[in-house]
Amino acid sequence: MLVVLILCLSTLFVFRENPRIAPLRTILIDATATVYEIAVAPREAWRGLTNYFQSRRALQEENARLRQENLVMQGQTQRLVSVLAENSRYRALLNSSELIEGDVIVAEIISVSADPVRHLLVLDKGSDQGVANGQALLGAAGLMGQVVTTGATTSRAMLITDSTHAVPVQVVRSGVRALVAGIGDIDQLIVRHLAATTDIRIGDVLVTSGLGGRFPPGYPVAKVTDIYIAPGAAFATVTAVPLAHLDRGRHVLIAQYAAADATVTP
Amino acid sequence: MKNAHARWVIWSSLFVGLILYVAPLPLSWRWFRPELPLLVLFYWNLALPHRVGIFSAAVTGLTLDIINGSAVGALGFGAVISTLFILLNYQRLRQFDTLLQSVAMGLLVGLALIIERWLHGFLGMTGAGLGFIYSLPATILFWPLVRNSLRGLRRYYEVE
Repeated sequence: MLVVLILCLSTLFVFRENPRIAPLRTILIDATATVYEIAVAPREAWRGLTNYFQSRRALQEENARLRQENLVMQGQTQRLVSVLAENSRYRALLNSSELIEGDVIVAEIISVSADPVRHLLVLDKGSDQGVANGQALLGAAGLMGQVVTTGATTSRAMLITDSTHAVPVQVVRSGVRALVAGIGDIDQLIVRHLAATTDIRIGDVLVTSGLGGRFPPGYPVAKVTDIYIAPGAAFATVTAVPLAHLDRGRHVLIAQYAAADATVTP
Repeated sequence: MKNAHARWVIWSSLFVGLILYVAPLPLSWRWFRPELPLLVLFYWNLALPHRVGIFSAAVTGLTLDIINGSAVGALGFGAVISTLFILLNYQRLRQFDTLLQSVAMGLLVGLALIIERWLHGFLGMTGAGLGFIYSLPATILFWPLVRNSLRGLRRYYEVE
């Protein structure tokens, strides 16, 4: 009895820190993903079945729609290229460093973590595909989180709404820098340590500032929904709503940003 | 039949509980997810205390820790403490009526979770306040279902 309790306590410390455990941890993360895959197997089977019996007409319509979308996107990308070129010229004029653009990996969400207070996603790409701890997770509408543990073929990402997560951000309108922290609520974030006199308004969009070297700069994170300044308090209470659809969608982008070396212990 | 299959029945029921526990739910519904693996574990503790004890509790807890991505060993510790409590009081707990037993099981699950959070706090992983308590009503509601279905299973396979 005591032996078992001490064993549990010792794993508590050994598993977190010891580098010799790393291979075992990798195996365990992949094994866990298998459990999640078994759990979602019925849903996947149903999805496969409905896909298989989808009518030719529906597929043709979808194809046409996707072609159109693709055309629009390509047009926008062309503009983006010219804007990027212009931007880098301006940056050169300002003597600031050029933005580093990394590759992205498309990953599929296998499942969300079952523990209600931890906002974790299980992804189907791991270190074999180039995923590493600390890489940023991007959705279609904004920043979603970061990779915290990596297995060989699967990995786990923490969402920005997890109560142990914080992102350095910048207000687009005024350039004010701040930290956006999760509070364990899927549709609410809190902007920490903003002085009551800071220039921030309801509706302001917060983007990653790139400070700290973890997240690539310039990605939208959240939108300010509420500001409360208590009389006499040093800090304003600012809440924001995440822009990325954290509980929707099946695919995410993992951005391989240059400075992704620091590790996070789960 | 009696002893040959007992281990298989117990471990596969724990595994099924685990699978159902991680089954996908929308993120906004996650508060209503019962702690199924712990309930299954506690049922076996209660029904067969000589067979399912501390060791099974540690294995279940550690597995849950790994699956949840929390500090490995935290829930293991909590599950062992709760199991110890059941092993010391199983005769009394068996006499309770369904309602009281459900509440007792909810409290024991809560105890395991509180110990988990407490150990997390030691390691600097502060959680979202008392959020983890929100899963307890669902856990309490599920206990009669878990107990009755596992009792049926135990009688069918004559696990002793």
